[in-house]
Amino acid sequence: MNFKGKDIISMKDLTREEIDHILSSVENLKKHPDRSKLCRGKVSAMLFFEPSTRTRTSFEVAMRNLGGKIGGFYDANITSAVKEESLWDTVKMHDGYGFDVIVIRHPLKGAARVASEAALIPVINAGDGPNQHPTQTLLDLYSIKETQGRLDGITIAMVGDLMNGRTVHSLSEALLKYEGCNLIFISPRDLAMPRSLIDKCKSEISERGGSVTEGSRIEDFISEVDILYMTRIQMERLQESALAEKFRSIYRLEASMLHNVKNNMKIMHPLPRVTEIAQDVDDTPYAYYFQQAKNGLSVRETLLALILGAIK
Amino acid sequence: MKRERSVTIAKIDYGIVIDHIPAGKAYQISKVLGLNAFARKTGDIIAIGINFESPSMQKKDIIKVENLSLTRNMLNVVALIAPNATITRIEDGKVTEKHKVEIPDSVGDVVICPDRFCITNHEQIAGKYHVVSKNPLTLKCHYCETEFFGPLIKYKEKN
Repeated sequence: MNFKGKDIISMKDLTREEIDHILSSVENLKKHPDRSKLCRGKVSAMLFFEPSTRTRTSFEVAMRNLGGKIGGFYDANITSAVKEESLWDTVKMHDGYGFDVIVIRHPLKGAARVASEAALIPVINAGDGPNQHPTQTLLDLYSIKETQGRLDGITIAMVGDLMNGRTVHSLSEALLKYEGCNLIFISPRDLAMPRSLIDKCKSEISERGGSVTEGSRIEDFISEVDILYMTRIQMERLQESALAEKFRSIYRLEASMLHNVKNNMKIMHPLPRVTEIAQDVDDTPYAYYFQQAKNGLSVRETLLALILGAIK
Repeated sequence: MKRERSVTIAKIDYGIVIDHIPAGKAYQISKVLGLNAFARKTGDIIAIGINFESPSMQKKDIIKVENLSLTRNMLNVVALIAPNATITRIEDGKVTEKHKVEIPDSVGDVVICPDRFCITNHEQIAGKYHVVSKNPLTLKCHYCETEFFGPLIKYKEKN
């Protein structure tokens, strides 16, 4: 399987075999004796049209860990975009500057796909608005596999704002590529998973021996899940802040709720968290969100090394 | 009792006939194909018939355009709006070609992505859409990956 020069724009473009190859390459790269020299002489263009904390930092550190360098910008307000330069032109220009890969984050959906068509060099989507964030999904899958030893047949509950959370949409769709997964969607009705996605999950998962369940209380499912994937109730998405406060109090996980969970159960969260996971959960053996974020670094290193042809 | 009516639409010697258009859709097709501009430019006859009687469809629309041949892109538009339409080519007053349209697997910049956060609605990027279902017609934006159908499919109309 050759990833050299390949764009990573959407999880929908990746087959199960390609995902499995990326995940197994993470382990190989961690043990690679010359990891710090793999991308020596390579430069990544970081085109960040909107703010980012984890994704940006981890891509930077990933490139540095591989011996490569970075350039680009982190604030579209200091670029020609304020002079109304088009995305296409901005990408074309960077494409001609001798970079080896472009990492792009943009507030609009589809921007990364446009960038991949404008650029001759490979493009990695680091989030295109509410659409795709494939490196997040890959690190989620890696974290599930790392903790459960498998992706087939896992039982995962996704909790919180399932309507606006792109991570849960993308993760659900990715798990449809695996056998017999049980997906449980726990949210207030106002923030439920989009109907079209639930229908898609139901029709595809039944062929693979899995199930889709909708619920409204964490307590009803917590004892049966392998993964509890918490998400933030996004205040900015709700018209009434009182409603957000109410949902935040209901969809909140505390250490006292963890007395009857499976031993292998892990709690994941794409971060940032607000109040949906109480701090007393951090000290339990089930908390995995910081390790999950750390895995983002390894997954991004692996993707860069694969795309730049440093590993196969 | 049904009233017999005999209304015919102008005959053309050269050009194309788009027949079996669902009643009420001919005007939309003509706008999306830009037939108005075509007529202004060429001065050729364009006949648009609405609510004609049809044995197979009860009522149908029909479009005849003198001296026009349809590009692949134009055929695709007709197929999306009128999936059962037939296209007839007329040369020297005779039918030289007749076929049913077929919904393609993908179309170009002929519809507007309904997602307001899609890059195609903010920058000058030609839209591309994949047909994910032919019945009901469901399109997926190549860029933002939004799937949409029914009244959300809005065609780009030309004046």
